[in-house]
Parts: sequence; C-alpha cells; structure tokens
Amino acid sequence: MRDVAIIGAGMIPFGRRDEDTLMDMLAYASLKALDDAGLGDKSVDAVYVGNMGAGMLQHQSAIASSLVDRLNLLPAAAETVENGPASGGSAVKNGLLAVASGYYDYVLVVGGEKMREVTGWRATDFVATMTHPQAEYPYGITLPGMAGMFTRLYMEKYGVTREHLLAISLKNQEMGTLNPYAHVEMALDRDGIFDSPHAIVNNPVSADPLHLYDLCPVSDGAAAIILCPLEMAKKLTKPPVLIAGFGQATDTQTLQERDDPTDLKAVTLAAQKAFEMAKLKPGDIHVAELHDAFTILEIAESEHVGFFKKGEGGKAATAGKTRLGGQIPINLSGGLKARGHPVGATGVAQVVDIVYQLRHELPKNRQVQKAENGLTVNFGGFGNNVLAFVLRRVQL
Amino acid sequence: MKKEIAITAYKCKKCGKLHYPYHDRCLACKSREFEQIKPQGNAKLLTYTAIFNLPWGFDQRFLLIGVAEFENKIKAMGQIKADSVDQLKVGMKVKPSWEPIRVQYGEDVYGLKFEPIP
Repeated sequence: MRDVAIIGAGMIPFGRRDEDTLMDMLAYASLKALDDAGLGDKSVDAVYVGNMGAGMLQHQSAIASSLVDRLNLLPAAAETVENGPASGGSAVKNGLLAVASGYYDYVLVVGGEKMREVTGWRATDFVATMTHPQAEYPYGITLPGMAGMFTRLYMEKYGVTREHLLAISLKNQEMGTLNPYAHVEMALDRDGIFDSPHAIVNNPVSADPLHLYDLCPVSDGAAAIILCPLEMAKKLTKPPVLIAGFGQATDTQTLQERDDPTDLKAVTLAAQKAFEMAKLKPGDIHVAELHDAFTILEIAESEHVGFFKKGEGGKAATAGKTRLGGQIPINLSGGLKARGHPVGATGVAQVVDIVYQLRHELPKNRQVQKAENGLTVNFGGFGNNVLAFVLRRVQL
Repeated sequence: MKKEIAITAYKCKKCGKLHYPYHDRCLACKSREFEQIKPQGNAKLLTYTAIFNLPWGFDQRFLLIGVAEFENKIKAMGQIKADSVDQLKVGMKVKPSWEPIRVQYGEDVYGLKFEPIP
C-alpha cells in the first residue's frame, strides 16, 4: 500500500444556492481543488463523487459521468458513491484506496448536495429515507427525531444538560461567522435563545429535547480534494497532507437493537482503526471536525473518539476545552451546525477544513497554531455507518 | 374493530436473541433459523420525542414518537397517543394498539401506537 497525500482542496460557500445546479456546484468545487493542486490543464485518473440525493431531489442519476464530461476529465474512470450523510467520507475512502493500491495516481474526490431545491417538508422526508423502511420510516420519524430520542437517553445516563448543548451551538455559530464558506454566518445570543423568557419563541422545540439551534441547517454546497501518492506529492509546491489513518465501521440500523443505544460503537471503532493506522492516540490530535448534525453529536463523538471520558464531553465544551486555544479545538469551521450540511458534501468538506488547518492557511482567529495532526468523523444514518480520517501535515 | 398488532419479531433458535425488525442472520451468533414471535401485553416506554418539523406526508402540528419494550422483551418504535411530552416519562407503562399512523396515496397505513396507562 502506498502512502496517499491530499495535494489540492477546494470548496464553495455553503448555503442556499438557487442560482446553481448540483452539477454547477460539483464543477466549481472540483476546479478549485484542481487549481489548488496546481494540476492546471492536466487530467486525473479517476473521479469519485459523494452524493446522497441527486436521484430523489434532482431526478438525476450517474452524476459522476456528467461531471467528467462537464470538466473534460475524459476518459477518467468515474463513479458516484452513495452512503447517506457519510457519502462524502465514503468517496474519500474510495479515492484513498484506489491510490493506495497503486492502480491510480491522481484522483479527484468531490462531494455535493443540492437540498434547498425542495421544500423543508420534502427535504426532511428525503433525509428520513435512510431510516428502516418498515420499522421506522412509516411512523414519521425524522433524523432530528432520532437525535431527540438519543439525546433524552444520553441526558439520563450521562447528565448532559441543555446548557452543555448550548455551548456547542454558541461556539459553532460563532466560528461560522469567521468562515467565508459557512452557511450560517450569525452568532447566537445566549439570552435570546436560552435565558430570556422569550427564548422559546426564538429557539422553539424542534425534536424534544432538542431545539431549533441544536440542529444543523439544510444546505446546498460542494467540496473537493485531489489525491496522489505521497512520493509524487513531494514535487508540488503546497505542503501535502498525508491521510495517515482511516477507519470505517457500521452498527445496527435501528437504535432499539443496540445493546446500549447511547453507545455509538461505529464511531469508536472507526476512530480506533484510524488512530491505529496512523500510529497516533486521541491526545496527539490538534484539531478535529466532528459530525455535529445535532449538538448532542459533537458531545457524544468527542467522548467516543477518546478526547474525553463518557459524560465529560458536555462539561468540556462549557469549560471551553473544545474552543480555539483549548485542549482539543473542535469544529473551528463552524461544523455542520454553521458551515451547513449538504449531506453528500459534508465528509469531503470536513477533510478540506482540516487540510487548511494543517497547511496553516487560516486566519489567526480560526487557525490552531502549529497544528500537525487532525481528525474528521463523518456520521452516516444514525451512527450506523461512520468514517474517520486522521490527517497529518507532511514535513518536506 | 380492534386490529391485531401486525408486527413479528424473530427469536434465534440457536442462541435465543430477539430481533425486530427482521435480519437474515442472527445479530449475536449469525444463525439463520428463527422462531416467529408476536409482541405480548403492555409495553414500557424506553425513550420518546416530539417532532415539530415533520416530513412530507404528515399534515399536523407535531408528532409524538417513541420506542417501547413489550412484556416479552420485543422493542419497537411507535407513535404515542398523548397531547404533549409533559404527559410522558421514560419507564412508564403504555398500552399498544394497531391503528392508522399515516395516509399514503389516499389509503390508511397501519402501525403501532402507544397510549400512556395512568
């Protein structure tokens, strides 16, 4: 197996992009990554597109084939990778394995989703199609609903409070104001969404006990990276970032069939595999992008990957340990909570944000000084298909 | 007319593990032989939520949904017949029934409903 480096990264601002088609967004992000890699007019050997919903939302299939045509990456191999909200992470994994195997040298991985094309009512249904088709979906369960039931159990077992969840909302939306690619660029006022008697108007219950500002937005967006063997990357001008570790694990589709529904086993296993491959420990990570589709998930994942003991993640967040300058800065991009969550794009966008961190390219108010190692966690379904990547800055 | 609860759970003939929904191989021992089991008696509410942002197909203000465990240990999701989450508590007893849970293409779709037992 060859060491694989990320030599180019790019993304477009997430949000509501009525003016762009899904293919526009995939093309713009891809071109940014190609340019960032300095590949100019050169082609790539293969293209992996992470996307969950083009078939349902745009009535469009085989989008990878369309993309290589549009970008004139012909005759590159191309395919779409669908794995729910972990589609982006799965696309990165496919690109990684293709280069590591020695079969391809240059690979474009791009993730994208256009969700605002349909009403919120339809988008909620679209995301809910990943639930069990007989035992869950017909009841009207939604992913926020799954998260609500999970949160209730997590609160009872580990003493997580709304105050802990609030710390995630405040931090991530504050970071979103500093990220030009973020969907939500609005800092939250604690009084307005939590302390004031009117807070329930500004921040109503969405999926009890979760409130509106515990949830990520529904977004359009795309992000892309270019991969190649590390040995070839050393000839390029920008510092390459090594994919030092990767792990993926699955769990039961329904929460009720897990021995302990608060135990996100797939997160733990995916992270353990990634750390093992990278020969690193959670304490060696300097910055992380975790899948905070709901505030509870940032807390739970920060515990399951090993940054904090079970029951300590919420307290760590309120103590500022996950802010810039803290013990382990998490979601300095704003996370899904503020950067947004175009489902197929998210896993790639997390990697792009960590690449920027490890290349030390971000402004001081978002950059972890001297960051060498980063972690991403891309959470599919309700924790039933999870990918983790450990990235490392390469010293040339 | 009261309808029978039309879900079936599957008990592994080798190790006894209960499954709902169906799996082709046991989640514990990977055996492929199962005995069909029907849920029995009342149930205990394990967790719940009130969803206010509903998916397409649900034209109502909010929906109460939970997971409950029947007396013979089968666990399943269902809608909850209550006015608000204030009437619910983890661990409370609920009475199961098989009722319309949504309308699709003009037809009632039946499923589990749980009603709190005072």
